[in-house]
Amino acid sequence: MARKLKDPWPRQRVGLGGWVRDHWRIANEAFSYVSLRFGTSLLVWLLVGIALALPSGLYLLQQNLADMTQGWEGRPGLSLYFEPGVEPAVLAAAAQQLQDRSEVAEVKVIDQAQALADFREFGALGDALDILGDNPLPASIRATLATDATLADLETLARIAERGEGVTDVVLEKTWLERVIDISTLVTRLGLVLGALFALGAVLVTATSVRLAIEARLEEVRVMKLVGATEGQIRRPFLYFGALYGLGGAIVAAMLLSAALLVVEQPINHLLNSYGQGLELSGFNPIFLVALLVTGAVLGVLGSLLAAHQRLADLAIH
Amino acid sequence: MGHIEFHQVSKRFENGFEALHRVSATFEEGSMSFLTGHSGAGKSTFLRLLLCLDRPTRGQILVNGINVTQLSSSRLPYYRQHLGAVFQDHHLLSQRTIYDNVAIPLRVAGMKERDIGRRVRAALTRVDLLSKERLLPAHLSTGEQQRVGIARAVVTRPKILLADEPTGNLDPQLSRDIMELFRQFNQVGTTVIIASHDRDLIEDMGERIVELANGSITRDSRGPAAQAQSDTLAVT
Ligand SMILES: Nc1ncnc2c1ncn2[C@@H]1O[C@H](COP(=O)(O)OP(=O)(O)OP(=O)(O)O)[C@@H](O)[C@H]1O
Ligand SMILES: [Mg+2]
Repeated sequence: MARKLKDPWPRQRVGLGGWVRDHWRIANEAFSYVSLRFGTSLLVWLLVGIALALPSGLYLLQQNLADMTQGWEGRPGLSLYFEPGVEPAVLAAAAQQLQDRSEVAEVKVIDQAQALADFREFGALGDALDILGDNPLPASIRATLATDATLADLETLARIAERGEGVTDVVLEKTWLERVIDISTLVTRLGLVLGALFALGAVLVTATSVRLAIEARLEEVRVMKLVGATEGQIRRPFLYFGALYGLGGAIVAAMLLSAALLVVEQPINHLLNSYGQGLELSGFNPIFLVALLVTGAVLGVLGSLLAAHQRLADLAIH
Repeated sequence: MGHIEFHQVSKRFENGFEALHRVSATFEEGSMSFLTGHSGAGKSTFLRLLLCLDRPTRGQILVNGINVTQLSSSRLPYYRQHLGAVFQDHHLLSQRTIYDNVAIPLRVAGMKERDIGRRVRAALTRVDLLSKERLLPAHLSTGEQQRVGIARAVVTRPKILLADEPTGNLDPQLSRDIMELFRQFNQVGTTVIIASHDRDLIEDMGERIVELANGSITRDSRGPAAQAQSDTLAVT
């Protein structure tokens, strides 16, 4: 029996047509399985949906905060204060230098006389200055940033301005912006942490549900194995279950998010109006929805891979 | 392509029980054999090893010269696709029609739905159940269910057909019909091995009988039908 034999059981080449047919049939079966057990499926969708809604809601929030810091209309800026008796030419040169920078939108020069005039407009205290004789108010330049300038630009600008001739002090006006950016960073971090946790939750929920589906179809799995189904073929229906659970969850998440947006839209606008800001809530667009669906499906498939690995890997046939 | 050889095959389970002890036997291509012996003799274990549902602790099982005990898990499915197996408890899927049950192996093999239809109907015709293709297994009698199991095992036209107590709880006449059905498949060249402890029935069949006792072969005899067949096999 030493003769060399060719493989009597060659790997079946199913071909693209067969592959598509098989997937189509199994997808249909999975769909009817899931819809026949609508109650259970709905529960899974809700759980997965909630797990997806929270991190994606935070993502939306973060996106909107980022938009806000970019298109901020309160326009941060900086004021440069000069030593007393500074030459008008120095002031003009500094103003020109600022004006030439692309991130600066507007420059306003306030010389000592102007500063005094402004001060006097406040009334009573103005007279106090007459006692001093000399004008103690410094000349200053106020620069307002362009709309597309960032907080980093503002800080660079401040560092340059500090080194300018006769400059005693640079005051940044950025508190509000800074706060938004802090919140935005926090939201991003929180989103990442919660996203990871809740994604894991979604995976485990689908894994458990798919595990139940496997349990319900164990007899079928055994028959499939007996008649020579490959691991891939045996796993395939369950991957579809996982994908359907994940997709359904994503749809629930999208519904939850749009409901949440409806609820928060008004108070947010109200809040922002009080800061002189108008805001269109953005980010809840087709690309976001597609990404949400894909994420849901991928997490669902991961869950079912987990379940399949646990239950099917070395299933004995009795 | 249905030649089977057991070489000194032993199977010891995790609990230390040795169900088969150095079993050697050859089953020629196109032969028909019965495996018999007392309950617990090792008949099912023998068939399970051949189906690679379990691995032997020692020895070789050669099918067409290839040691199937060494098949990798990725090649195993393709080996099983060339076997047909029938069990006492039919393993029919209760939620699926007779037609869909019989179609499973063909779908696994990736066959076109039109060809599947033709093959399934041919197999159901062989077991005389074509009229019941749309029913669920629960609507069939035990004997009919067993025949559906046989149709599913032969629908791929395997070169080897294995059956474990296929007549387990059928009345004598039905049992005989089922055995005759197996003989028909054997007559078109399929190697058939059937485990059964129905002594009277298998003696009547006149085929080869391999008897196991406590995991060893204690008898290997060929009845008149087997004699006649090996003569014709020798001539051709
Ligand atoms: N997984 C297992 N672990 C331990 N012992 C086992 C296992 N499977 C089978 N056995 C033992 O191996 C022996 C042979 O079992 P097997 O099923 O092959 O017998 P059999 O000849 O088919 O019997 P029957 O006619 O009752 O079906 C029995 O004693 C059984 O208890
Ligand atoms: Mg048995």
